Amino acid sequence: MANLRIEHLNKRYGATTVLNDVNLDIEDGEFVVLVGPSGCGKSTLLRMIAGLDGASGGDIQIAGKLVNTLAPAERGIAMVFQSYALYPHMNVRKNMTFGLKFTGVPPAERDRRVAEAARMLRLDELLERYPRDLSGGQRQRVAIGRAIVREPAVFLFDEPLSNLDAALRVSTRVEIANLHRMLKSTIVYVTHDQVEAMTLADRIVVMNKGCIEQVGRPLDLYYAPANLFVAGFIGSPAMNFFEAKVGSVEGGCARISGPGFRSFDLPATSLKVGDSLTVGVRPEHLGRGEDGPFAVEGVVELVERLGEASFAYVRRADDRLFVAEVRGRQTPTPGERATLIAAARDVHVFDAAGLRVTTQNDA
Amino acid sequence: MPESVSNITAQMPRAKLAGLLLFFLGPAVAIYTLFSIYPLVATMALSTYTSDPSGARYFVGLANFETLLGDALWSKPFWNAFGNNLIFFAVHMCVQNPIGIALAGLLSLPGLRLKGFYRTVMFLPTMLSVVIVGFSWNLILSPLWGVASGALKAVGLGSLFAPWLGLESSALVTLSLISVWQFVGIPMMLIYAALLNIPEELIDAARVDGLGHFRIFFHIKLPLVLPTISLVSVLTFVANFNAFDLIYSVKGALAGPNFATDILGTFFYRTFFGNQLQLGNPTMGSAVATVMFFIILLGLCLYLFLVQRRVRRYAF
Ligand SMILES: Nc1ncnc2c1ncn2[C@@H]1O[C@H](COP(=O)(O)OP(=O)(O)OP(=O)(O)O)[C@@H](O)[C@H]1O
Ligand SMILES: [Mg+2]
Repeated sequence: MANLRIEHLNKRYGATTVLNDVNLDIEDGEFVVLVGPSGCGKSTLLRMIAGLDGASGGDIQIAGKLVNTLAPAERGIAMVFQSYALYPHMNVRKNMTFGLKFTGVPPAERDRRVAEAARMLRLDELLERYPRDLSGGQRQRVAIGRAIVREPAVFLFDEPLSNLDAALRVSTRVEIANLHRMLKSTIVYVTHDQVEAMTLADRIVVMNKGCIEQVGRPLDLYYAPANLFVAGFIGSPAMNFFEAKVGSVEGGCARISGPGFRSFDLPATSLKVGDSLTVGVRPEHLGRGEDGPFAVEGVVELVERLGEASFAYVRRADDRLFVAEVRGRQTPTPGERATLIAAARDVHVFDAAGLRVTTQNDA
Repeated sequence: MPESVSNITAQMPRAKLAGLLLFFLGPAVAIYTLFSIYPLVATMALSTYTSDPSGARYFVGLANFETLLGDALWSKPFWNAFGNNLIFFAVHMCVQNPIGIALAGLLSLPGLRLKGFYRTVMFLPTMLSVVIVGFSWNLILSPLWGVASGALKAVGLGSLFAPWLGLESSALVTLSLISVWQFVGIPMMLIYAALLNIPEELIDAARVDGLGHFRIFFHIKLPLVLPTISLVSVLTFVANFNAFDLIYSVKGALAGPNFATDILGTFFYRTFFGNQLQLGNPTMGSAVATVMFFIILLGLCLYLFLVQRRVRRYAF
């Protein structure tokens, strides 16, 4: 159990910069999830924490100790790989004890740890089997077991569930959450899957092109994305964006207008007349109505019915599409004219640089 | 759904099916029969005959084999050649394959520069003609004008030099080592290819588990390429018991000194084609060839039943 601190971490391969000045503080016992588009450097960051890749610059501290030059096994970490990476020529028990043998753990202690991990992960019956005789989910549990017996200060997971089918992914996700509750250890977890990120994380780190875009609790990221990238990345389907301009500013209120939506007043003091903005509203926050703080009109072009909700693709007056999630049994029909409204607090405004404009609605 | 092949063939008229089979399998079967099966069978058949000075041949059953293994005139050189062949094989197993494995392990180290260069250089001798290799080493090791004695002198080890190829005690091992030098690239390449197949994440997992490069090699990589190593061993076995060219090009058909480097290949050559005062004896030569065939067959069977069935291949 330990905290993890990353300072000014850089990684370059020749001329390409893969990680650019990454700073991150992870508390003891925290479950941190790294998300971001493919190739943004999540695995690279994780491998650098593990010590599998060296840094081009910056520091990594685990439990207050600088580990830059330490080998992976000396850092007090354990890693679970996407492909499980079980040793194919060893049975489950040997897979779990193999590493312990080389770090000087006495046999009795090894057996105790394996027994405990096996009990926790329901592996008792599988201990004598070989990886080839296990299902994907069982292999995943063995891989986690191999990490647990190391009793690491920090667990590192690199997309551990991406090779499992949908149902197994959900149940293993719950298991990992339970495990974290039991072990109370620090976890850094990489995933593509937003649902995994939202459900597991104490805090989510959103990365893009080697930089950290935002760090925050799942709901903070959802309700108050710090910039356009995070706003578009978190949430599915993605947030709708509308181009806008500041028309006038009066008494702490800015008049926002743009093609495709009705002009509205925004209680923000930082705006000046003529500023270009982007207005963002999530599909699930748009509902049918006549008039509201934010209203947008258009013709329904396509409807996807999922059962619990339907997604309506609506073409605005300026010929752009946006998506609205409509709940209830009455689904919109294509060709229908619709007015969709959103509450003031669900309207996100970003400035020309893509940064969130804070408003009185946020309070 | 597309029809399965077995369904299609079942519905076909017999004549058409036969024609198809002939069309697709015929050429390969014909070539294989002509160049492999027929010579083998013909050799075995010939080994049951004997010929008199007039050239007429008589069927004698297994008499040639009795002579070969029972008559001291034949059996002594035969067992000498067989024993030498075993030594030849043992040197390859103990030197060539471990070095090949070690080189492959070094080549597969992450972060090694000039990999392609080393690989090519170490594979180069394999592509040379055996005759050239034999001739070159003959010159290198020559006590009269070879560079070996000079090179040893230059580093102060001149006293170690001996005419290795000429001494009964060292000629065979020296020749084996020349062959090792030439062919070490083959196990290296095969095992290197197998090592490349091991997923990167598995090695990473071992590093997280606290193993250094050396231990990773011994505990992870080596067990996983065991199938390839056993394949390399059996290839070595077959190649060694069929060897002939290196000995012939360095020592000639007499495989001197005093038959110290005689192996089954050269023994067969002298028997079949004759050499100096010895007359060629095709029927006896066929008997030697047949025995060689059965020795290799026996070795392969032992390998298949004792080794192959125990070695596990791993899918990653
Ligand atoms: N050895 C290397 N040489 C050059 N570039 C590399 C090397 N390894 C990784 N990269 C680059 O680093 C970037 C980050 O890779 P990384 O594997 O960390 O992405 P990721 O966020 O884990 O993506 P994914 O979600 O697809 O797993 C990629 O653009 C990749 O091309
Ligand atoms: Mg990755």
